[in-house]
Amino acid sequence: MAELAIENLSLRFGGLTVLDNVSFTVEPGELMALIGPNGAGKTSALNCISGIYRGSGAIRLRGKDIAGLAPHDIARLGVARTFQHGELFPQMSVLENLLTGRHARVGTNPLAEMLFLPSVRRAEVAHRGAIERIIDLVELERFRHAPVGALPFGVQKLVGFARALALEPTVMLLDEPSAGLNREEREDLARFILRIKQELKMTIVWIEHDMQMIADLADRIHVLDYGRTIADGKPDAVLSDPNVLVAYLGTETVQSTIVQATPLP
Amino acid sequence: MFRPTPRASGYFRTDYAQDLALLQTRAERIGLAALVAILVTLPFVATPFLLDLACQVFLASIGALSLMLLTGYAGQISLGHAGLIAAGAFTTGILTREIHAPFWLTLPASALTGVVLGLVFGLPSLRLRGLYLAVSTLALHFIVIYLGGEYETKRGFSTGILIEKPSLGGFKLTDGRAWYFVLLIFAAATLLICVNLLRSRSGRAWRAIHARETVAEALGISISGYKLLAFVISSAMTSVAGCLFAYYRGVVSIEAFDLFLSIQYVAMIIIGGMGSLLGALLGAAFVTVFPYAIEALLKLLPNVQKLAGDIFAVNYASFGVVMILFLILEPLGLVGIWRRLQNYFLLWPFKYKPLAGTRK
Repeated sequence: MAELAIENLSLRFGGLTVLDNVSFTVEPGELMALIGPNGAGKTSALNCISGIYRGSGAIRLRGKDIAGLAPHDIARLGVARTFQHGELFPQMSVLENLLTGRHARVGTNPLAEMLFLPSVRRAEVAHRGAIERIIDLVELERFRHAPVGALPFGVQKLVGFARALALEPTVMLLDEPSAGLNREEREDLARFILRIKQELKMTIVWIEHDMQMIADLADRIHVLDYGRTIADGKPDAVLSDPNVLVAYLGTETVQSTIVQATPLP
Repeated sequence: MFRPTPRASGYFRTDYAQDLALLQTRAERIGLAALVAILVTLPFVATPFLLDLACQVFLASIGALSLMLLTGYAGQISLGHAGLIAAGAFTTGILTREIHAPFWLTLPASALTGVVLGLVFGLPSLRLRGLYLAVSTLALHFIVIYLGGEYETKRGFSTGILIEKPSLGGFKLTDGRAWYFVLLIFAAATLLICVNLLRSRSGRAWRAIHARETVAEALGISISGYKLLAFVISSAMTSVAGCLFAYYRGVVSIEAFDLFLSIQYVAMIIIGGMGSLLGALLGAAFVTVFPYAIEALLKLLPNVQKLAGDIFAVNYASFGVVMILFLILEPLGLVGIWRRLQNYFLLWPFKYKPLAGTRK
């Protein structure tokens, strides 16, 4: 059974159709890249999966329809995500950010927390241990106690990635994890993505603009353009698909019609 | 978590439990012991006036800590704080007058009143934010005051409900010193509860909601659940403060809980420093002592007799001026000043400072 299956997902904001009958499936342990030009609806698709937007159509997680569930319930089912701009909690330390990401896995109740009962202490210690393993995995040891707001952007993106990992998800949604990273940081990121795929067997949906990275890492590519699927398949096939080339680079005819239809502001 | 700066070297922790300890260095332990010693000896050397002032500070601390939890950490603005204190006070007053309820009954009853009010008036927070939420909590204040006023007039307690001093374990709490210790213990317990909540799951969830609501929800945090939890816990603690206030004063009357009291509590957490429990304590002390300080200053002026009528006006005005000055000059509040001092004396008299975030 597919780990994640999107069936006929459509999303409209007023008269604007953001997603138009998009369907795709991601097999367990598969790394699927979701690409497309700006405004193609990639992030909206991710937002639909994590429940922030509500579209029409079915979103199945291991066969169970999760469309319409609240975002926090979807996260509890093991769907974690990162955000394009990090979206961290700037006042909190790296550790606190990751522990917050682990919220759904911590089971202490507020009354016990008030007294910090031994059960709460044990839980905090155990989850700290789990967090440390993630810190180890993404090599953030140096920054553990640093307030996140003061960290460089590249490190912040990694913290966001680690925060999603802290949930111990089965499905990981990555929204442009490499945006704003330099060459070296991208290489580290590629290493971490491969690591969670191979060591943790995570199913990953990965929005990305770096074609080289995608061609190297992705098992499969799904291409969106103006909210519609225009290609899906192995990286080699998709990246040489004429439709994809048109969507990314344009052709003379296509470009001239776009310019006529929507004059630049 | 609560230490922004290093204060000692040579402390190496070897497991995560040690990292959770509230007191980690010898200096911290000695500091706490000294503080406890001062707080314990204070009532034996202080004048009755100072003793009363200290009791007021402790009462205000409970209220300020619970408001800090709600506003400073969970990010939910409330102007209904005076209403909640009134609710606790009136619950106590009504129960003692009507059924002669003892202390051990009125205290949990007040807390329960707070829980119910927190639940009901926390509901708007699921839809409203910022100023709109503040206005909806204002309704809480007016409703409680209205109901309290109705009770007072219906039962003929127009000058206020008189409450007998409570007895704890056969010991009647009439002595100022005894009150000092009771209120100190309650304030310390409130502080401990807040610290504990903030270093565990709920506290992290609140801070996450405060920072980025949508992200927090996508991480698996139930926004509505934690907002209501913040309201419920904060309101319960505030109502307990109201209960203690009623017993301490010996009289409950709606005049004591005007809107200015709510403003004062908001002022406490702003002046003290948002997002810091120490800030709540400093703010509570500052705002409580401030009017007495102004009065004492005015008495130093020549021709005091002439000014006697203006003392209230001067008080209000200077309070406003101080608020504005804090908002403009020191948005981090008293705690910001305290941290800067700490930072300055960190390696004094040497100039070098450790890099930010390198501690631990």
